[in-house]
Parts: sequence; structure tokens; C-alpha cells
Amino acid sequence: MPKGRSRLNLGEVVHVVASILVGVAGAIALCSLGGLLLRDGSFYPLIISALIVGGVGAAGRALTRVPQDLNYREGFATVTFAWTAVGLGGAIPFILSGAIGSPVDAIFESMSGFTTTGSTILTDIEAVAPGILLWRSLTQWLGGMGIIVLGVAVLPYLGVGGMQLFRAEVPGPTKDRLRPRIRETAKLLWLVYAGLTLLLVVLYVAGGMTFFDAVNHSLTTMPSGGFSTKNASMGAYSPFIQWTAVVFMYLTGINFALHYRAMRTGLRPYWRDGEWRLYSLIIVLATLPLALAIHTPGGPLEPTFRDAIFQVVSIVTTTGYASADYVVWTPFAQIILFLLFFVGGMAGSTAGGPKVVRVLLILKHGFGEMRRYLHPRAILVTKISGMPVQSEVMLNVFAFMILYVGLFGVGTLLMTGTGLSLVGAAGAAAAAISNVGPALQEFGPMANYGFLAAWGKVVMVVLMLVGRLEIYTVLLLFHPGMWKR
Amino acid sequence: MRILILGAGEVGFHLTRQLSEEGHDVVIIEENRERVRSIEDAVDAMVIHGNAASLSTLEKAGIERTDLLLAVTSLDEINLMACLSAAQYEVPIKIARVSKPDYFDHTGILPPERLGVDRMINPERECAIETYQLLQSAAATEFAQFEGGLVQLIGLRVKADAPMTGRTLAELGADQRRSRYLVAAIVRDGATIVPRGSDRIEAGDQIFVIGEPRHLPEILPEAGHTGFKLRRVVIAGGSREGLLLAQMLEEHRIGCTILETNRARAVSLAETLHSSLVLHGDATDLDLLEMEGVGEADGFVAYTGSDETNLLSCLLAKNLGTRKVISLIERMNYIPLVARVGVDAAVSPRLSTVNAILSYVRRGSVLSVATLKGTSAEAIEFDVAASFPYAGVPLSQVRFPPGSLIGAIIRGDRVIIARGTDSIRVGDRVIVFTMASAIHDVEAIFA
Repeated sequence: MPKGRSRLNLGEVVHVVASILVGVAGAIALCSLGGLLLRDGSFYPLIISALIVGGVGAAGRALTRVPQDLNYREGFATVTFAWTAVGLGGAIPFILSGAIGSPVDAIFESMSGFTTTGSTILTDIEAVAPGILLWRSLTQWLGGMGIIVLGVAVLPYLGVGGMQLFRAEVPGPTKDRLRPRIRETAKLLWLVYAGLTLLLVVLYVAGGMTFFDAVNHSLTTMPSGGFSTKNASMGAYSPFIQWTAVVFMYLTGINFALHYRAMRTGLRPYWRDGEWRLYSLIIVLATLPLALAIHTPGGPLEPTFRDAIFQVVSIVTTTGYASADYVVWTPFAQIILFLLFFVGGMAGSTAGGPKVVRVLLILKHGFGEMRRYLHPRAILVTKISGMPVQSEVMLNVFAFMILYVGLFGVGTLLMTGTGLSLVGAAGAAAAAISNVGPALQEFGPMANYGFLAAWGKVVMVVLMLVGRLEIYTVLLLFHPGMWKR
Repeated sequence: MRILILGAGEVGFHLTRQLSEEGHDVVIIEENRERVRSIEDAVDAMVIHGNAASLSTLEKAGIERTDLLLAVTSLDEINLMACLSAAQYEVPIKIARVSKPDYFDHTGILPPERLGVDRMINPERECAIETYQLLQSAAATEFAQFEGGLVQLIGLRVKADAPMTGRTLAELGADQRRSRYLVAAIVRDGATIVPRGSDRIEAGDQIFVIGEPRHLPEILPEAGHTGFKLRRVVIAGGSREGLLLAQMLEEHRIGCTILETNRARAVSLAETLHSSLVLHGDATDLDLLEMEGVGEADGFVAYTGSDETNLLSCLLAKNLGTRKVISLIERMNYIPLVARVGVDAAVSPRLSTVNAILSYVRRGSVLSVATLKGTSAEAIEFDVAASFPYAGVPLSQVRFPPGSLIGAIIRGDRVIIARGTDSIRVGDRVIVFTMASAIHDVEAIFA
């Protein structure tokens, strides 16, 4: 514990949050340049938003002192407050431009962006000014690898405290350090992320997208976000582009530390990783029955298979693009997809959901318990990729899954209160916690959340945030011990 | 040759006795005063009392005149430290006994040469390898190999109803169309015989057979044994040897159950091993052995820290029906007992170490050596030099020293199991069986 101090210093927290807001203001300003080039009338709303967000951030910085170091509690508080602040600030361009009328709707869209959920309240996306759409896509890109990880990479004073922040934001029960210094690790992760994004822009343009669409879709594919600039989502594009999206969505569901290692040493790190093997197996095991279920006898095979694997990968990575309207598929096909809501991508990826590693740990532990019936005196150690998992981590995983399912239950309860169907409400709650985006029934991929009652949207905003920060980070703020002196 | 041995434990003592009997000048350093006394009484060697890693003690022992340093104390660090010192005195050959894998599994940054060590011998690893080979070679009580496995030696117990019981070696040899194996030594009632053609095999004999690996299994039915495939092994005791053996079994995809009484050690084993099943329990807990189906296992290896526990648990396992039970025995004078109580084979990290060191020491004209446990015989491999007096003479006409025989001749990559009509040529390698008393005479012929 740095400085031997455990009390939460709000001033230091505010300083970091304000710094991040200044950064977000810079990103909005960048989009305003896009608006200026496109001459779509979005320049003024964007630049004014940038000034407002930047002004608030600058004021926050001026009023507080530079933190010496962040302790455990401050780390968790900073991350939750920063995400809340960014979600609110990111909504301002939508309101000022008039693209979205109600503040609740704008916050919903902004939070859905930063958390890479990809749920939208927009009915006609193509009618919105391109500059605003660019900002909407950029929120996902920033949120994907994590605004805090970005902050750790660039804010000079976050040395030791950086790990506290890193721990609170990066998904998964354990975190990889690629370099001895946490800032270097954060920089590397962002570098891999940005590099893959650039490559994807090139591929999308090669596949026939306009440059603007290619940039937008790259910014929302890499974070496994799912916002599209088309009403028909990925269904509007060629098979080549859809296949490209499948491959890149698949990559975003993989631990970025693995990508980094693979770039240095070849493909072996993937195969050695037990989580990767299960992740890939799940995709295969879900795609095959799904393809059989949606195949019309005598029909062409490639489109069927492409539809199946596209929806599977899109949902398991919690991206939320759609190339087909799966709501019209049979219940068997739909339940395959719905079960994937509760898997998610790999830890350390940009995907949401409970994460494959937790599923893997629970499966392995369950198998081990069966072995204990056969050998009561056995010493059983759960392992991932040959490395033993400490029992505290195991307990944490169980508690996490219970909280996850609990939140899903409470979320479903609240959503049905707004008058939704049971399937629609459950789907929306799961889609929000797992940051998937589209859900079932009335919230299918071709529908949107615009008609949802305002407080239903508020519930979803909270679920998205709690899900993105993997529950504990947010719930900790409500623990009395957090605020004790 | 002047040899300096550090540490007069079991390993140091055996090395001293062996090397001194072979005519070398042996100096031994030992820290324990009582041990010094008992060594002085037992062997013809100079014993110096002191810390083996201290320079003044080393100088007192004449390190600057030493040709060979054997650092075999039970402490790795002292052994390594002494080798490093000896390197400064330019001792030509330095051998260290090193147990901790952290020192052994060097990744190239700090190879043994940089530490002044010519050869590191890991007792636990040598022991685990020997155990594994014993497990694999079904009925064998003893196992050694030469020329990287081209020639193997196994020890077997002859059953009463075996076809070979009561026949002479000459008759056995006449049965074989080509000579495929050779009975090279017989242990009967505790006495070792290096046999001649007229010797008869009796029920209960322990025979040592040399042959090519692909032909050796043919001897099993002759001695009344049936072969089996190794599928599951139970190891009692998660010592270093236990861990190494379990890892070898995992590598060969053989099922492995390992019993360990210390919970913390058991957890650490479970974390290190992959497919093995680690149980927290005692090797002599009959209920546990029954519950885990030890009787149905193909092999049971007792590796606990106590000879008595090892023997007892081996007997329990044998009683439950385990096909092959092997016990680790620390005290070498227990080894002859092992066979009498019904345990199939004994292994000893110390004896393995002694063998490994002796074979290294005698390299040059002598390539490899195996001390046959519970006997006074050895198998030694020689390069035949131009000075060999009987080149080209049929073996039946050569008068070898009494108590010795030629086991096999290796010519290029061909193996000839020796018969009276064969002859040795210059450039061959030969494997000779000899009683300890005849070693000197044998070495005089070949070296």
C-alpha cells in the first residue's frame, strides 16, 4: 500500500477524473474537425461540447492537487467516477447537435458507447450527421481498451497507483503484466489495439466500404462495440466485409497480451493458452448446431454458415453487430445465442460478458469436485494453462458469477416493470450487463431501445457500467468500508 | 591417481572403499569427528577432519596434487563451492553431487563449467531413472544399460516352475539358434557366482542377463515370468525422487498416483504435476491403499524418507496384489534383505550416485560401469586397445582371470553376445563381468 495510507482522498480522485475529462474533450474536438471537413453542420455542436467538457475538466484539475499516488480505494473510486463522468460528458454532443432530444436518451447512447455495449436508441441512424456518428463510434473505441488504461499510459504521475486502476478496469480475474512498468504495459496494449484498428480500416476499404464507413466500423469492431452507421448494421455489406468482421471480432475476443506475445514469438502462445482453446471451441460448438438449425434444405451453404458464425462471434465477443435478424429464427437457434450472452470473450480482451476464463475455471473446478468423490483424499488444484489457480481467486470467481446472475435477475425484474415481455426484459438486462447490445424479441438486432420507458433506460445504463467494470469495482463504492476513515 | 573425496556419508564411504580397493590414493574430508574415526577403521584412506569448503582444509588434504575431486557431501552449496575452489588449484577433474534442481536445470547462462564442475550428478534423478527402467522392464530386479541402450543388463529371479530351472548354461546356450542373451552372473544364497557353462540354474536364483533390448524379453518366460504393460503406478512419498519419477511417467502417459503425508508438500506436488493424482495420506494406511486400488496398479514405488516404511508399504502393496513393488533403500546393508522379504527390487539414490561417479571416473578406456546391487560383481565396459594381448583369439582359448567373463562385444553398431567361438578385435568395445576381487586383473588386460 503506497504511503501506508488507506483513507480515501477525494481530491486526488477528482484530479484524475478531471484529467481524463480533458482527454475526452480533446477527442470530441478531434471529431469536430471531422465535422468541419464533412460540412454536415456538426462542427459547432462538437466544438462547443469539447469546450464544456474541457472546461469542467480544467476546473476540476485547477481546484485539486496532483495525486502523489493512488491507494487501493482511490483506484476503485477513480475508475467508477471516471466512467460515470465520461458517460455524462460524452452525451453532450448528442444533445447540442439535436441528434437525440432527451438527455436520458443521450446518456444511454453515450454510456452504451463507452461501455462498448452497442445498444442504440436511434431509429434512423443514417439520418444523423456524420460528425456526430464519428463521435458515437469513437466513444466505443476509447471505451474498448479502457479510458483508464489510456490514462495510465499517458498520465505521468500514475506510477504505483496505475496498477490499482489497471486492476479495477481491465476485465478478468487475474491481470497480465507485459512489462515491469505498468505504464509500459498500458502503452503496449494500446499500441496493439491501434495497430489492428488501422489494419482493419484498410481491409474494410478494400472490401468496398466508403472511407467514412470503414473508419467508423473499425472504431466499433476493435472494441467489440457494435455501433454501425447503417440501419441494417453489417447486413448492409458484402460477404467479404462480413467475413473480415468475423475474423476481427474473433481477434478482439482474445486477450490482447496474447496478441502481443504472438507478434513477438509466433502463434504458439495462443495454442498454449487454455482459455483460448475453450474460447475457440465454444465458437465451433455454437456455430455448427446453429447453422443446422437455420439451414433451409436445398439452399446455399455459404450464406447459412456465414450467418451462423457471424452471429455467434458477434455475440460471444459481445460486439452486437448483426448480419441477419436472428429474432425470426427458431427458439432453438435463439437460445444458443442467448446462452452465449453468459460467456463473453477472454479476460484481457475488449469483449464483455463474464469471460471465458471464469467459465473455464468453474468447469474445471466442477470436474475436480467430481474427482473428489472418487478419491476423497485427493489434493486437487485447479489449473489454467498449467498454472495453479489460488483458492482465493476461485472463490472470487464463484462470487462473481453469483453476483452476475443476481444482477441479471434484478435487472430483468426492473425491466419487466416497464411493461416489456419476459423474453424482451430478460434479453435487455443480459445484453446490458454483458455489453452485447441487441437482445431478443422486441430488442432484436434490427430494432432499437428508443421506445423503452425512461427509467428502463436508466436501469440499463447502470447495468452497462456495472457489467463493463466487472461488478466489484462499482459495487465497492456502496460498501461502507470504502468510506471509513 | 590421487583422489580427494569430500564428505564421508554413504556415497563418500562407498566411493572411498571402491576406489581404494582399485589401487588409487584416496584422501577424504569429513566434518563429523565420530564419522572420521569409523571411516579410518574401515578403509585404507587418509581421513582429514574439517569443513570441505574451507581452503585451509583443502590445502591440508593436498588439493594442489589432486587429480580428481569428488564433492559428495549432502550439501549442494558446499560441493559447488569446493569445486570452484578446486578449479583455482587447477584440479583436472571435478565432480559434484547436486540435488537441487535449481542448480541442475541451468539454462545455459551458468553452465557447470563456469562453476568449475566437470560433471554434476543428481542422485534423485539417477534414482528416478533407474526406478523407471525397473518398472518398464517387467520382472527385472536390476537394470543397467550400455552404449546408450544398445546393450541392456537385467537382473531376474528364477521361479521354481521356470523352464530354465535345473539346466546348465551350456544347455541353455545350445537351445538358442543364435546367442541372443547370456547369463552373466548368478546370486545364490547371498553369494555371487560368475558362471561357466557347466553351472546349473536353480529355483530362486537371481540371474543377471545381458542382451540386446529386443531379445531380452525372450528370457522372461524362460525364467517363469509373464510380461505386462505398465499402465498405472502408485508412488508412496512425494520426495524429489517421487516428483521426478511422476514427471517421467506423465511424459510417457502412464497413470500415476502419488501419496504424500505432508499436506503442504502434497499441494505443491499437485500444483507442479499435471495428470498425476496427488493424495494426502500415509503409505502404510491399508484402508487408503485399498480404497485407491493399489492392488490393481501395475507398479508400486515406495519413496518415503524411511527404509522401514518403504519396506512395510511395499509388502502391503504386494499383499494387495500389485504386480511390481520397488522400495527405496537408504542403508545399503538392507539391500540383500529386500529380495528375501518379497520386494521385487530396491533402488538407492546413493548407489545410483556411486555408479554414476564411478562410470565417469573410469571413463577413458573404461566407458561405463554398473555395480550389481546385492552382489560383489560389476559390469564394466572397455575399449579394446592395440595392446590387447588376445586380439583374434577365440574366447574359449583365452584364460581370463577367475571370477570374470566377457558379456558382449560391440563392433561398430553391431552387438555380439559373447560365445566361446567369438573373438575380440582391436577397436571393439567389450562388456566384462567381474567379481570385485578380479577387477584389477581385468583392468590390467584391457587398460
